[in-house]
Amino acid sequence: MFNRKKKHLPPAATFREVWQKGDASFKLSFFFMGLAQLKHKQWAKGIAYLGLEVAFLIWLVFTGISSLRMLSNLGAIKQKKVVFDEAQGVYITKLPDNSVVILLFGVLSVILVVAMIGLYISNLNSVRKLYVQLRDGEHVPTNSEDLHSLFDSRLHTTLMTIPIIGIVAFNILPTLYMISMAFTNYDGKHAIGFSWTGFKAFGNVLTGDLAGTFFPVLGWTLVWAVMATATTFFFGVLLALLIESKGIQHRAFWRTIFVIVYAVPQFVSLLMMAQFLDLQGPLNNILMNWHLIAHPINFIGASANPLVARITVIVVNMWIGIPVSMLVSTAIIQNLPQDQIEAARMDGANAFQVFNNITFPQILFVMAPALIQQFIGNINNFNVIFLLTKGFPMNNNYNGAGDTDLLVTWLYNLVFGQTQRYNASAVLGILIFLLSATFSLIAYRRTNAFKEG
Amino acid sequence: MTSWKKVTMGSAAVLAAVMLAACGKSSTESTKTTSKDLTGTVKLWVDTTNVDYYKTIVKNFSKKYPKVNVTVTQSPNGSANAKTDVGKDPSKAADVFQVPNDQLGSMADQGYINPLSPAATKAVKKDDVAVAADAVTWKGKMYAYPTDQQAQTLYYNKSMLSADDVKSWKTLTAKGVLATDFTNAYNFYPIFFSAGTQLYGKDGETLKGTNINNAKGVAAMTWFAEQKQNKNVMQTSNTLNQMKSGHAAATIDGPWNAANIKKILGKNFAVAPYPTINVGGKEVQMQAFLGIGSFAVNSHTATKNQKAAATLAQFVTNKQSQLIGYRHNGSIPVNKSAQTSKEVADDPVAKAVMVMSQPGNSVVMPKMTQMATFWNLSAPLINGAYTGSIKPAQYATKLDTFVNAISKDN
Amino acid sequence: MTSYRAQRHLSLALRYLLLIVLAVIWIVPIVWIVLASFSANDTGFVSTFFPEKYTIQNYVDIFTSTQFPFVYWIRNTLFVAVISTILSTFVTICVAYTLSRLRFHFRKPFLQIALVLGMFPGFMSMIALYYILKSFNMLNLGGLILVYVGGAGLGFYVAKGFFDTIPVAIDEAAVMDGATKWQVFWHIGLPMSRPIIVYTALMAFIAPWIDFIFSGIILSASGNSKNYTIAYGLYNMLNGTLGKSTTFFTQFIAGCVIIAVPITIFFVIMQKFYVSGITAGADKG
Repeated sequence: MFNRKKKHLPPAATFREVWQKGDASFKLSFFFMGLAQLKHKQWAKGIAYLGLEVAFLIWLVFTGISSLRMLSNLGAIKQKKVVFDEAQGVYITKLPDNSVVILLFGVLSVILVVAMIGLYISNLNSVRKLYVQLRDGEHVPTNSEDLHSLFDSRLHTTLMTIPIIGIVAFNILPTLYMISMAFTNYDGKHAIGFSWTGFKAFGNVLTGDLAGTFFPVLGWTLVWAVMATATTFFFGVLLALLIESKGIQHRAFWRTIFVIVYAVPQFVSLLMMAQFLDLQGPLNNILMNWHLIAHPINFIGASANPLVARITVIVVNMWIGIPVSMLVSTAIIQNLPQDQIEAARMDGANAFQVFNNITFPQILFVMAPALIQQFIGNINNFNVIFLLTKGFPMNNNYNGAGDTDLLVTWLYNLVFGQTQRYNASAVLGILIFLLSATFSLIAYRRTNAFKEG
Repeated sequence: MTSWKKVTMGSAAVLAAVMLAACGKSSTESTKTTSKDLTGTVKLWVDTTNVDYYKTIVKNFSKKYPKVNVTVTQSPNGSANAKTDVGKDPSKAADVFQVPNDQLGSMADQGYINPLSPAATKAVKKDDVAVAADAVTWKGKMYAYPTDQQAQTLYYNKSMLSADDVKSWKTLTAKGVLATDFTNAYNFYPIFFSAGTQLYGKDGETLKGTNINNAKGVAAMTWFAEQKQNKNVMQTSNTLNQMKSGHAAATIDGPWNAANIKKILGKNFAVAPYPTINVGGKEVQMQAFLGIGSFAVNSHTATKNQKAAATLAQFVTNKQSQLIGYRHNGSIPVNKSAQTSKEVADDPVAKAVMVMSQPGNSVVMPKMTQMATFWNLSAPLINGAYTGSIKPAQYATKLDTFVNAISKDN
Repeated sequence: MTSYRAQRHLSLALRYLLLIVLAVIWIVPIVWIVLASFSANDTGFVSTFFPEKYTIQNYVDIFTSTQFPFVYWIRNTLFVAVISTILSTFVTICVAYTLSRLRFHFRKPFLQIALVLGMFPGFMSMIALYYILKSFNMLNLGGLILVYVGGAGLGFYVAKGFFDTIPVAIDEAAVMDGATKWQVFWHIGLPMSRPIIVYTALMAFIAPWIDFIFSGIILSASGNSKNYTIAYGLYNMLNGTLGKSTTFFTQFIAGCVIIAVPITIFFVIMQKFYVSGITAGADKG
């Protein structure tokens, strides 16, 4: 594989040489992409390059330039104006420029320009290759050879084109849009026409009126992510060992019982769980009827004790998460080399010692990358909090968040709640990213899971 | 300034009355002739459960304005979330939509909605009760057509409590259990009003007009804390269930739930205005928030459809439509003559709501943009006092922080 | 000897006891959800474990309701799920295979960009997605499918992990015999990846049934509840009009049970593929 890569190293020919020594079509190719290819009968390539350039230029003239220019101030009109329409006898509002749309299409334009630059570079490379092939008298690939290469040496282009378009349109563009939103004053006060304000929104979150909420919520998010990942993993392994232990019959049946809980859609199981745990809900009723408790426990209500609610959330997460990690650990346990365990048994190690010194470390080793991903997933675990507690119990020291709110559910409240603080939520999004990135970086460095990547 | 405003408003009302009295029939006839020519395409958003009867209302509308094409659909997340639903994409939102009055201020400031024409303003002032007209007015302009009023009242089980028992909180909770939710600021922020304070001033438009960071505010906080000690005040997220099972004898709720409660209690259903409560050593009327349901016109509606949209909004809030809403949904009308119609006047729920909507019994929800922050912060404050996580010694500082946070310009 | 055997019996009995207790704890809330769906209740809250009164009216109502066109929701969701399963699986497998088996210039940057993109929380991008779809006039089921498929290109990790475990020697032997890379992909790569295709398809199929946020943002704009998918439709039953949650709560549970049953059965049957998918990704460590 790697030998082949070397063969493809570009032969010595600078762009200057192509420009100076190439014929007119090569020179023109620096301005009109694809001409050199066309001249040398590489129709498919040539038409593709030329067509894309023409399309780009048409777009640039008709919409591109204006949407790039508007990006600089996100629309000139920032204030609405109410005027009386005499003819109809009603008031009409002259609206500000819609900055949301301007920003979105501005970002899209930037992406298109960058893509065009990339295309231009690839055109130059292609032209250079052609030049070298002609200069050295090598075989110039024909049209059909070019097309065939799409299914052989360039198969990656064929397979990746559609996915990449999807990723750019539905992931990269929205993400860049979100990042740029953090540098505007897009909020309830400037809901239609907003402007660039630099790092002001970051200031609001880190030192301003949201700081008193941000840091405690961040702390709980980390505690939650650690606890949720650790508990489900540890008890999942234990449960798997229990089901796999000697003498237990109908293992598939037992596993299925637990898996059912995971399989039920979360918006059903968690929404109902919220009622199950209510102050006057079935669980409290059962416990009271059995005289296990004298007063109902407020597990997750809006006026619950924060500590109780946080523990409850972690326990409910165990209810949902243990079955999966049980399933996965089962698969790993079944494939563990038994000789080591047998040897340990021979030496008189008891079950606990075997687990502690052999089984558990081995499972941990295999599961490490998955655990890191789970940890990141738990930082962003929206469903469990949103559906179960909605962030409650209330905390009178916070601004717009509750005791079990994670950064991500708080972010949701800032976007879709009444306060409409879009820019602050974008800042939170970036901070969550930094948090996840830091942890993955450290973790991947240590496990080397992505070394080969 | 305010007195000047009153004078102009008063004179406008007088003028309108005189004009209408003078023109009388002829004016209505003239609208009839033009009504046939009004054209446009209008989309109407209402709550999911109300779609059916609004279709009836729109049918009436179409008889009068045959050239206006109206579609009735449900709003994405209900009228309570109008601000965020419309805000998500105003150009896709309906031309006319249902919205509670407390969101009008920020929607007007953001430019989502158009003010009413002078003629429509006059009509609202003439036809609807004064408090409704005030509730939809923001910075001197009217921004929506009021359609119903929502003040919470006391619902109770007749077999467990008598009409005399429910006159004061003390006797009420001595004889029966009251189930309610202290985590809902809509229920309990008005205790601060009972204690004698104001929220955003008397007019509800003064940014620095909140004055609960004083002894009166502390008295209200103390009252919340006392309720935790009261065995007959039950904290619950599901009052209806507690009423049904007989664990609770009374609750405070809005007219939107009256039908549900009636179904649960059957012949034992009874309703009354709020009792009196003892705040800061004084026996005072327990107050409520007064919300006015209304219809507003989207400012993104195409200019050629504006007139049709405004006309539709006016039509779905006229007397006839309000009465249809009352019959199907129990919405309490704000139209003066609808209120005096026999079916409304004889209804105990409507009567109780109308008593509660009187000044002194309730305060109209302010329309400030800051109300979003207010809702976010007031519930934890009240809940904190109730559960005791805010200690009496902290009341003063917590109230200071609260007032500062909701009085910020941005 | 007997004491040893007794000890073993005791140990087994204790383990069975523990297992039964755990199983009961795990399954009780699920049983309660099913029971609650049969309860006659108009208070919007089920406070007891066993309903005071049983009825099947909730199931009748949810299917005949005019306000909540349940049958349309199922139909829409099935439509979205089937199309998006086909397309997403194709996209995911293409990307995973390419990244695992083929070597090219852009490979490393792509892996890094994908890693970075995956770490941004998705909610903020929803506003952008809404406007993107709107500009294509795609605020409908088609748009929802596009969003699901568009995101599929980033969900390649598990499948890539699987492909990584297939020895490269097989490919190289085929190339020696003159096969093109496409032929290797089509005739060797795909047939060998049956378990991972099933896993990917399973995940893609389930997603539309449980996503209530994305679908809500994209579909609610129409204002026509006949356009909703099931997750958003059901979620919307509880959120919206004041007093609504009370009236429709038991219908909501019935609706939930109706969709939860097939998904659960489906998942339980497919669990071995799920495990192979997860462990394929994890084995790399």
